Amino acid sequence: MKVDLTVNGSQHTVDVADNALLSDVLRETLGLTGTHVGCDTSQCGACTVHLDGRSVKACTVLAGQADGGDVTTIEGIANGDDLHPMQVAFRANHALQCGFCTPGMIMSAIDLVQTADSPLSAEEVREGLEGNFCRCTGYHNIVKAVLDAQANM
Amino acid sequence: MNAETGIGASVLRKEDARFITGKGQYTDDISVFGQTHCVFVRSPHARAKINSINTDAAMAVDGVIRVFTGGELVEDGIGDLPCGWVVTSKDGTPMVAPPHPPIATSVVNYVGEPYAFVVAETLQAARDGAEAVEADFEILEAVVDTATASSSTQIHENAPSNQAYDWELGDKEATDAAFAAADHVTTLDITNNRLIPNAIEPRAALGSYDAASSTYTLYTTSQNPHVERVVLALFVNVAPEANLRVISPDVGGGFGSKIFVYAEETAVIWASAKVGRPIKWRADRTESFLADAHGRDHVTKAELALSSEGEMLGLRVKTIANMGAYLSTFSSSVPTYLYGTLMAGQYKTPAIYVETQAVFTNTAPVDAYRGAGRPEATYVVERIVETAARELNMDPVELRRKNFIPPDAFPYQTPVALEYDTGNYAASMGKALEIADHDSYAARKAASEGNGKLRGRGYSCYIEACGIAPSQLVISLGAGVGLFESAEVRVDVSGSVTVMTGSHSHGQGHETTFAQLVSDRLGIPFDSVNVIHGDTGRSDYGLGTYGSRSIAVGGSAIDRALDKIIAKGKKIAAHMFETTDDQVEFAEGQFSYAGSNEPKPFAEIAGAAYIPAVYPLDELEPGLSEKAFYDPQNFTYPAGSYVCEVEIDPSTGVTEIQKFVAVDDFGNVINPMIVEGQVHGGLAQGIGQALLEHGIYDADGNLSTGSYMDYAMPRAADLPDFEVDMTSTPCTHNPLGVKGCGEAGAIGSPAAVMNAITDALGVKDVPMPATPHTVWETIQQGA
Amino acid sequence: MEEQGEFVIPASPQDVWDALQKPDILKECIDGCEEMTVTEEGIFACVVAIKVGPVKARFTGTVKMVEPKPPHSYVLEVSARGGGAGFGSGRAEVNLQEVPEGTTLSYVVKGTIGGKLAQIGTRLFQSFSRKMTRTFFDRFSQRWVR
Repeated sequence: MKVDLTVNGSQHTVDVADNALLSDVLRETLGLTGTHVGCDTSQCGACTVHLDGRSVKACTVLAGQADGGDVTTIEGIANGDDLHPMQVAFRANHALQCGFCTPGMIMSAIDLVQTADSPLSAEEVREGLEGNFCRCTGYHNIVKAVLDAQANM
Repeated sequence: MNAETGIGASVLRKEDARFITGKGQYTDDISVFGQTHCVFVRSPHARAKINSINTDAAMAVDGVIRVFTGGELVEDGIGDLPCGWVVTSKDGTPMVAPPHPPIATSVVNYVGEPYAFVVAETLQAARDGAEAVEADFEILEAVVDTATASSSTQIHENAPSNQAYDWELGDKEATDAAFAAADHVTTLDITNNRLIPNAIEPRAALGSYDAASSTYTLYTTSQNPHVERVVLALFVNVAPEANLRVISPDVGGGFGSKIFVYAEETAVIWASAKVGRPIKWRADRTESFLADAHGRDHVTKAELALSSEGEMLGLRVKTIANMGAYLSTFSSSVPTYLYGTLMAGQYKTPAIYVETQAVFTNTAPVDAYRGAGRPEATYVVERIVETAARELNMDPVELRRKNFIPPDAFPYQTPVALEYDTGNYAASMGKALEIADHDSYAARKAASEGNGKLRGRGYSCYIEACGIAPSQLVISLGAGVGLFESAEVRVDVSGSVTVMTGSHSHGQGHETTFAQLVSDRLGIPFDSVNVIHGDTGRSDYGLGTYGSRSIAVGGSAIDRALDKIIAKGKKIAAHMFETTDDQVEFAEGQFSYAGSNEPKPFAEIAGAAYIPAVYPLDELEPGLSEKAFYDPQNFTYPAGSYVCEVEIDPSTGVTEIQKFVAVDDFGNVINPMIVEGQVHGGLAQGIGQALLEHGIYDADGNLSTGSYMDYAMPRAADLPDFEVDMTSTPCTHNPLGVKGCGEAGAIGSPAAVMNAITDALGVKDVPMPATPHTVWETIQQGA
Repeated sequence: MEEQGEFVIPASPQDVWDALQKPDILKECIDGCEEMTVTEEGIFACVVAIKVGPVKARFTGTVKMVEPKPPHSYVLEVSARGGGAGFGSGRAEVNLQEVPEGTTLSYVVKGTIGGKLAQIGTRLFQSFSRKMTRTFFDRFSQRWVR
């Protein structure tokens, strides 16, 4: 099937199998390998991207479901050399180690901050990141980074 | 030195630039021209005889290129997956290592063991092909339980009583005598729960064969590409070592599980030559659960002999360790030399005797997982010390203080083989208690009780032996490898520096820490140092990263190579100053000579090395590039004091960690930010073990916890903010004074949590993981 | 894995017994059953499509009736394979007893499952099998409630 997608501001028409996942299209067809796949049950969150402005797990979205949609991946959140405040905060707070969960974690965290009605507490950040696993950091510095970024978003 | 980027500075990481922008290159991100895809066909049975395998239907699937079975590898001379450490039993016999073909041939011994694999044009076709492989199995009775394995059906022909070895360490007679003279004996029967490592990046491999040069290239998720290469060449016979290049690009966490040489990369690299095209495989998560090596799984009886004043007189430990179905790469060393040797803990217990019986079961192989043996040892020692204090009505802090090896006793020879070089355990304990507001605990406990909650406090004073390892020592104990590390420091013509290390970073931040070391010592900008790792085609033979060895061994190797660079730089500078090299000083990035007021910056000497105008080439070779192989004299002995406070809701059994304080002594620290991060991660895995994680097989050997729906991974909301601090007694035997920091958190934390929970509940033991259900049941039984 | 239960069916033991021998009735009552045939006396071959959590597959199986004591009791030996999805096997003891409302059918099933079904479906399998059993007897009982 043919699927129209806007990905990080560029328009693409891709010809994919009916059962192709958005994560497959991003990684295999478009070569955007920053979106990682860490499980098969929609739990680890490494594949999190934004679809029409909200975070989704790209391994659980069929490419066809995203037809006509606007997708932002980790590769698309910086403005040229100007990193997104969340990217800056992750580095500044040592909120990543192996880096594998990081793209999904950053994409979830951005959505979490953007959709919050009022500034998030540490506890709310922990609850809000429930859908993203990190095995390296113990989350301590991720929580710090999200709180830090929220002040600059 | 530069205070912002030198040794001791919390420099932000170089590698983050690619990771936060999605530009990391993990194995599955790499694709090569003409690549095919591979799916493994795995046993659905815990133990079965393979009568026949029919691959016809699989071959008929559109897009399938080849279907391979185990027999084809054997016919081609592919050897078994070896275990690299031969442990000797009490009776002097070597351990039993059952045959372990990469792809099962006649029997399968755990659910998930591969017995065939399908190579196809697309992943979908490979999956369809794998589903179409038909095998006729004769199902055999499976052995699952650790405690009863030795009295169950025999799994392997060469392993009576399902025993791999029955090992001992320490002086049995002296220990028995200590018990005979004791006023009090505390006994504890405990289990150390099976864990599944769960690096978030699943294992993957991309193998290709270049017929023109007869060389193989394997990209794979390995913590130690050189070890992978030598095992595949020397033992598995895939190709001559020189014709095999192994590259571990960015690797998304390892925690031990990516040390080992597995069936999948073996099959992929071998088959790439048969198919004549590159082959890629990536585990899906269920495969990771089934076929990554698991960790822990001990059943232990421990006894501690004490005087009535709380003096620890003797310790006796008897452990059954579950090895799974086969002996994985380093599995045999884990419940022995990385376990029994740690039973002295931080204490001067004079007599210790440890026995470990390693048994086979029809479960996934068990091998090193973060801490590897040392968390299990710490759990035994710190749980029984705390239990003894309760039984003697002593403050557990006081009982520990009374028994600590005092700072003036170092170097200290323990009764279980190790010689600790340095430490100050009371200092870490003091700092931890201060941070934990130790003295105001009564008020917090009263407040919890006022809210209908149970509050408990627990301690854990761990020691570990890491920075592995002195080669000749471990070889004398059965290791089949040396455990030194290599480094090459290649000074470029312009004065920038390229460092090649045999260590591998899969989250530890070597590109930053090692660059700090080089920049600090050479006095050159941090940004002019480039660290390269993970490629056998580029760096010398090295042993990789595990056992918290990177800075202590790999860093020391770099330091030694830097010594040589500076020595040669002095020789070159001496010619420029028209003096002798012993008259040349090097400091702050400048070569200087008392007889000259024009010091030579490092970059100028680098240039002079490669544009050899001023020195006689018959005396001094051109160039400035040096190598070192550093073999440590001893292990490093990080130690620390952890304090945990929990609050338990008796109506639900939910445990909340309200305070977790970790004070560690890692000696000198290159990058405190990175070291703290390592501690955080270790704590999370240790707390995960204590509260959440458990790899469970049902009675038939099916893995009940085969996905994230059933295996409880710690999530952000499950963990507290950590209070982390450090004390320092520099290591006395490596040039940097550093100790390993990667595993400490996972080693020390489970006992602290469980001591707090048992304190809150007023019980002797609660099995890990202390899930709400387990805690609630414990409360009900007491009610 | 062990399961037991009982259902009251508004028919005599003999009527229940007879109905339980008929492949077309069984097919109608087993949720997802696509084929049910008698291959020889007391042996049924069936194809059943099931979905347990994330595992969806078509299982091919045989059901063998042993120790028949009409119309009082029998034992069923079941084995089924679902390709990559896994396999299952079990033994069910079925007893029929006359009661004022008709017949009480009680059963004890002991079974094992393996493969993907066991790895990612165990937690869900028990509730799945209960629901499947309930559906069967609901449909089966409906035959006499008109």
